[in-house]
Amino acid sequence: MSVVIKGQEIELDEDGFLVDPGLWNEDIVEYFAKAEDVGDLTEKHWKVINYLRDYFKKFGIAPMIRKLCKDTGFTLKEIYELFPSGPAKGACKLAGLPKPTGCV
Amino acid sequence: MKPPMHVAKETDLAAIGFAVSPLQEQQQKTVGKLNELVNAMRSLSVIMETCTKCGICANQCHSYLGTDDFNNIPAARADLVRRIYKRYLTLRGKYLGSYVGAEEFDDQTLTKWLTYFYQCNECRRCARFCPFGIDTAEVTIAARHILSELGIMPKFMQGITANMIKSGNNMGIPKPAIIDCAEFMEEEIKEETGLDIKIPIDKPNSDVLYIPSSADFFTNIDTMIGAAKLFYKLGLNWTISSSILEAANFGLLFNLKVMSEHNDRMKEAALSLGAKLVIQGECGHGWRAAKMYSEGVNGPIPFEIIHILDFCALNLDNLQLRKLPLRVTLHDPCNYARAGEICEQPRQILRACVDEFVEMTPNRDENFCCGGGSGILMDEMMEIRMKLGKMKADQVKALGKIDYLAMPCSICKAQIPNVLSHYGIDIANMGGVMDLVGKAIVLNE
Amino acid sequence: MLNFIGQILPYLAGGIFIAGMGWRLWTWLRTPVPFKMTLSPAPVGTAQRFIKIGQELLIFKTLRQSDRRLWLWAWMMHLCLAAIIGGHITGIYFLGQQFTALGLSINESVKLSTILGSLSGILIFASLVALLYRRTSNAEVKRLSDPADYFDILLLLAVVISGLHMRLTSLEVDLPAIRTYLGSLMTFKPVSTPQNWIFISHYFLVNILLAYLPFSKMLHMTGFFVNKAMMTATPPVYPSSLNASNISAFRKGGVSE
Repeated sequence: MSVVIKGQEIELDEDGFLVDPGLWNEDIVEYFAKAEDVGDLTEKHWKVINYLRDYFKKFGIAPMIRKLCKDTGFTLKEIYELFPSGPAKGACKLAGLPKPTGCV
Repeated sequence: MKPPMHVAKETDLAAIGFAVSPLQEQQQKTVGKLNELVNAMRSLSVIMETCTKCGICANQCHSYLGTDDFNNIPAARADLVRRIYKRYLTLRGKYLGSYVGAEEFDDQTLTKWLTYFYQCNECRRCARFCPFGIDTAEVTIAARHILSELGIMPKFMQGITANMIKSGNNMGIPKPAIIDCAEFMEEEIKEETGLDIKIPIDKPNSDVLYIPSSADFFTNIDTMIGAAKLFYKLGLNWTISSSILEAANFGLLFNLKVMSEHNDRMKEAALSLGAKLVIQGECGHGWRAAKMYSEGVNGPIPFEIIHILDFCALNLDNLQLRKLPLRVTLHDPCNYARAGEICEQPRQILRACVDEFVEMTPNRDENFCCGGGSGILMDEMMEIRMKLGKMKADQVKALGKIDYLAMPCSICKAQIPNVLSHYGIDIANMGGVMDLVGKAIVLNE
Repeated sequence: MLNFIGQILPYLAGGIFIAGMGWRLWTWLRTPVPFKMTLSPAPVGTAQRFIKIGQELLIFKTLRQSDRRLWLWAWMMHLCLAAIIGGHITGIYFLGQQFTALGLSINESVKLSTILGSLSGILIFASLVALLYRRTSNAEVKRLSDPADYFDILLLLAVVISGLHMRLTSLEVDLPAIRTYLGSLMTFKPVSTPQNWIFISHYFLVNILLAYLPFSKMLHMTGFFVNKAMMTATPPVYPSSLNASNISAFRKGGVSE
């Protein structure tokens, strides 16, 4: 499945996650924000998104949820308020990470 | 008819060494594989002939009770395979046809299998209540195996297998990230206790190999922390292995060859580290695969295999535990209580850790599945998953106020919070049994 | 016709029954059990294992736990069936005088034999009708049923009705003659078939039942033992070094490639 975002064709997987994390850009974030009911993106959102991206660049995977909370200073509840579908399915999608899978 | 989950595509399959069978070969291959399994598994060959259609299983199956879909009655589900078996592998089915319940293979057969065998949680409750002990989970295991051999499997299973091949765990956590996670958990323990408790990775000459669920390195870190504190307290020479940071064995849930490869991995890791004891973490089906399947498929096994809850219960006398002021209940993972001989151990541990332990009804080997068992954790199946979890929700609801719901299995940990919030049940905290051990254990005397 | 029913069919039916059941059992037992199928909690030791299987066999313990009404009819049906089979063997062999061993007079013994036989016949008839009714009235069971499921009950009913017919209406059945005839069949020294059509009808149906049984779901009588033996097996203990095998069907490059 693919969508056109600002004139660029972007391929998404079955769950709507970016197939190629290298294509990530801010327009895609805006698109995902709408799809995931995130609303207007604030500084807080960007703090989480940027943290996830940095971690992913370094380690090739999403960080542990508690580490994400600790390092960004948000509680899990606050993360859910920012990203209603949660850190794994919401925040990771906006940050262009692959969907965390396994027993989660 | 459209299957309720995302199905792996050809390129996905190639990545894990599977291929799609052409449509015109499907019937012949299905019958061939079925014949092969019937001749390789006594359980399956008996099940194909023994059901009397008494219907007792209907009201004992949470899947049927939750979905109200006829094909989710265990006897009806098994019949999806049995009808094909009768038609192509028995004389009476060949000549008497629908009179004996035989059915032609058609273009809907495999879609039906994919749809309904992935609504069976392989929980074995039907086996517990069937007068003949017919275990529909065996038929589910066989049907999913045949489907995957034909290149038909959920994307979810494929993705997990690809991660397993790539990084030795279902989540796809690479070694540098494992190290980072372990360091983070060590810091957490240090902050809480002031002690330097290590989570060693790939440490050679370890006596004990601990195999946690990889979800313990993402969402359920208190389970890992609890285990680390326990090993520290007992002074074990232990390690985790980056080549198998995964107690779950999804092969059991869709392809038995993949299952055997996973157990090989466990065996190799233990042998290369020199471990004499393998301790399996909180994972239900993974425990069944390790305990019940290793001997037959991967044997001989020259080391001991024990479950963390069994190990912990055996060592209760050597631990100092302070009672946490909580009202706690236990959800018995199906593969512990009905397929893994882990039943009283978590109860002994919980009674030692908390003020009040209450049983849900029914419990132990009669417990209802959480509805996520056998890897039915696909997001796209959420609506069905909630129906599969209905009996569990009713059980928890009947208990009133609970401070902590113990569910010592990663699949349960992923499924039950969704179920409870779906049915509007509010529970302050949920997690593993080792999580509570970690909080109750007294380390500084 | 009478000659076929009396002199050929019994050997045919008995042969099919023994060969059919033997073949079934053999195909099951030669099939490997690659993984331990133990249903927890596993019984500890042989005695517990026998008790666990025995409770299922003799009182249908789990069925009783989950559906009392079905349990009542199913258990009564099987109990009567066992009584009837036992009654046929002893009753015919001792001509109804088997209870003299308990101190009864010959007359009393024959009377008791008649009463017990009739009672079992009536109760099994009632249970079979109840089971047939359940199969048609319970929506789930009805949908699960194939024509063969009804045929099995109807065949049993036919056997029972013809037996009751003989037992309750026809006092002139000559038991000693039947005993002589059956004995001659077993010793392969044929005597002529008793010319009693009420007996012949019952006898014919029993032969059909025997020949049909290995190919029907009534095979659950053997499946029960094979399955329960697997479900109550002792779980593996590690380290294991002996008796462990590599089953190729479940390994890459195994039989299926």
